[in-house]
Amino acid sequence: MSAGPSGRAGSVDADRQQLAEGPAVTPTQAPETRPWALVAQREVMVRLTDRNFLVGTAVTVVLLVGLLLVQGWLSGRPDTTTVAVTDAQGADVVAAAEEHLADPRRDVTLEALSVADRAAGEAVLAEEEAEALLVPSAEGWVLVTEHTPSTSLRQAIAAAASEHALSGNAAAAGTTVEQLRAGGELAVETLSDGEDDGMVIAVAGVAFAFLFYLSSVMFGMTIASSVVEEKQSRIVEILAAAIPVRALLAGKIIGTSALALAQLVLLVAVGLVGSTVVGYDVFLPGMAEALAWYLPFFLAGFLALACIWAAAGAMASRNEDLQTTTTPLTMALVAVFLLGFYLEGTARAVASFVPVLSTLLMPLRVLEGDVGWWEPALALVLTLAFAVATVLAGARLYRRSLLHTQGRLGWRAAWSRSG
Amino acid sequence: MLFVEGLTRRFGSTTALESVSFDVPAGRMVGFVGANGAGKTTAMRIIMGVLAADAGTVRWGSQPVTDAHRRRFGYMPEERGLYPKQGVRDQLVHLARLHGVPASVARARVTEQLERFGLGERARDRLESLSLGNQQRVQIIAAVLAEPVALVLDEPFSGLDPTAVDEMTQLLREHTAAGVPVLFSSHQLELVERLCDGLVVLRAGQVVAQGSAEELRADTPLRYRLTLRGDAGWVRDVPGVTVLDLAGRSVLVQLADQGTASRLVGLATQRDEVYEFSRQVPSLAEIYRDVVLSRSAA
Repeated sequence: MSAGPSGRAGSVDADRQQLAEGPAVTPTQAPETRPWALVAQREVMVRLTDRNFLVGTAVTVVLLVGLLLVQGWLSGRPDTTTVAVTDAQGADVVAAAEEHLADPRRDVTLEALSVADRAAGEAVLAEEEAEALLVPSAEGWVLVTEHTPSTSLRQAIAAAASEHALSGNAAAAGTTVEQLRAGGELAVETLSDGEDDGMVIAVAGVAFAFLFYLSSVMFGMTIASSVVEEKQSRIVEILAAAIPVRALLAGKIIGTSALALAQLVLLVAVGLVGSTVVGYDVFLPGMAEALAWYLPFFLAGFLALACIWAAAGAMASRNEDLQTTTTPLTMALVAVFLLGFYLEGTARAVASFVPVLSTLLMPLRVLEGDVGWWEPALALVLTLAFAVATVLAGARLYRRSLLHTQGRLGWRAAWSRSG
Repeated sequence: MLFVEGLTRRFGSTTALESVSFDVPAGRMVGFVGANGAGKTTAMRIIMGVLAADAGTVRWGSQPVTDAHRRRFGYMPEERGLYPKQGVRDQLVHLARLHGVPASVARARVTEQLERFGLGERARDRLESLSLGNQQRVQIIAAVLAEPVALVLDEPFSGLDPTAVDEMTQLLREHTAAGVPVLFSSHQLELVERLCDGLVVLRAGQVVAQGSAEELRADTPLRYRLTLRGDAGWVRDVPGVTVLDLAGRSVLVQLADQGTASRLVGLATQRDEVYEFSRQVPSLAEIYRDVVLSRSAA
C-alpha cells in the first residue's frame, strides 16, 4: 500500500458509513477474572518462585524448629537425681520428695540409692554416682552434697522430711497430720481467669513484636520493590493503560498481604506443633485467645502500612532510591517496635488502642487478662479505620507518582502532583 | 472511529495540549507527527487513560471511551519495557489476561504470536536473556494480544532493526485490513509517508494540520515544473506565475490557480517545444516541514 488513498476511496466510504451506524467491533468483553485478582495472583506466583523468598522462609522455619527442639531437649530430657540413703526412712523421705519436685514440663524423678553408712555414702558422692546423701541426725536429717545443692532439691527434701517427721510425731501424740493441719490450709484464688504467667507473657510479647516487625519490613519492602520494578522496567504504563491503577495497587497489596499472613500462619503453626511436641502445650489454652486476636491485628496493622509502602515504591524511580523513600516507614516501625517493649502502665494501656502499635500491645493485654472484650474489638476497629485512611492516602501518592519516571519524588511533592 | 475532541492539558504553567481534536477512522493508519515536546505522548497517554485531561473528551464511535474500551485497545508506550525477570510466555499470558482475554485463549494466542515472530523456542526464557531486537518483538506482541479494536502506538518503530520494522509494518497492515484504527507517532517521516493514510501534525500542543495525504496536498500551493527546448526566462513575465527556481531551460513555478496552468502551457507550446510540464506533488515529509516551519515562523 503506497500512500495513495484514492485506491481505497470506496472502503473509506464504507467505513464512514459503518461509523455512522456505530462501531463495528464490540469494545467490551466480559473480563474472565477481575484485574486485581490477576495482579494479586502474579505477585504470589512471582514470590513463590523466587528462590530468595523460599530460602528465607525455609531458613526461618528451620531456625524456629531448631530453637524449639533445643529448648525441648534442654528441659524435656528425663532429669533423674540420685540421693544416697542409709536406711529405709531415708528412702521414704526421698520418695515423698519426688512429689514436691513435680514439674509439668519436665520428667523429673528422684532415686534413692541405699548405702551402708555415711562413709560409704560420701564415697558414692565422690564418684558422682549420686548427687546427694541423706543421713539421719539427732535433730532430723543432714543433706550432704559435694557442691551447694539446687534450691528445688533442697526445698523438696526439706518439705518431705518435715512431713515425715510430722506424721511420726502425730502418730506418737495419738492424732493425725490432717488434724494437726486443720484450719491452716491456704488456698489461692485468682480473680481474673487468665493465667498470670510472666514468662509466657514476656515470650509472647517478644514473639508478637518480632513477627510483626519482620513481616512488615520484609513484605513492605516486597511491595515497594515490586512497584519500583514496574516503574524501572517501564511496564507500568502498559499496565496502567490496561487496567485501572487502583486495581493494580489493590492486587499488589492483597497478594502480598496474603503471602505475609500465610507465612505468619505457617510460622505460628510450626511453633504450635513444635510446642506440643516438646511439651510446652500446657501454655496453649492461655495463649489461644491472644493468638486469635493477634492474627486479625497483624493483618489490619499490615494493611495499614501496605499502601504507604506502595507509595514509597512509586516515589522512587530506581531500586537505589528505595532506601531513601522507605526510610520514614522503617523508622516508624522501629519506633513502634521499641514502644511496644518500653511502654508501661497507663501509657501502655492507651498505646494499645493506637493503630499499628495495638498489633503488638493489645493481644498481649488480652494474654494478661485485664481487658474487656470490647477493648481489642475497639482497637481493631480503630486500626481498620486507620487502614482505610492510609489506603486512600497511599493510593493517591501511588497514582500520582507512578508515571513519574525521572528521579525521586519527595512525599510532599508526590502528594501535590496532579494525576 | 476514535475521536479526540478538544483535549487540553497543562503541567503547572506549561500547556502541553491546547484543545487538540482529530479522529482516526476505522481501518485507517494515522501518523502523529511533531517535534519532541509537541505533545504527542501526552495526547496518547490521555487517549489511553494513563493521564487525565484538563478538558476535552475521547470518544469511541458515539460513546465516551471507558476503561472497558481501553482494555481492548492495544498500546505501546514511548518508554517501553516488560518484566525483565519473568518468562516471556508467562508475562505475555498475564498481560493478555489483564486485557480480559480468557486464560486458555491467552495461552494459545501467545504461543501463536511467538511462533510467528520466531520466538517459539524462547517462550520459557526470561525476557532479559533475549536480544534487544527480540525484546522489541515481544513488546510488539504485547500490544496486539488483546485482539485490539484500536491501536495507539507511541514511536513504535524507534529502535527497531530493519527486519522488525518490516514485521511491524506487516502486523499494522493486518490490523487496518481488519478495520482497526491505528494511531502511531513517529519521527521517521518517510515511514509515515509509506504507511499512513492520514496525518496529524502537532506543534507546541496544537494541531497545525491534519487530514488524508490528498487533503493535505490540496492545501499546498500549485507547483509545476516546466522544461523547454530553449531559455525559459520569459515565464517570469506571465501574470499569476511566481518563479521559484529558474535554471536555464527549466523553471519551477507556483501558480495562482489551475487556470493559470492551462494558460502557461498554452503560451509555452506557442513559443517553444515543451519537454516537460508536470505537477510537483509534495511528499508528506515536505508538507510536514512546510507546515511546521512556516507556521512557527509566523
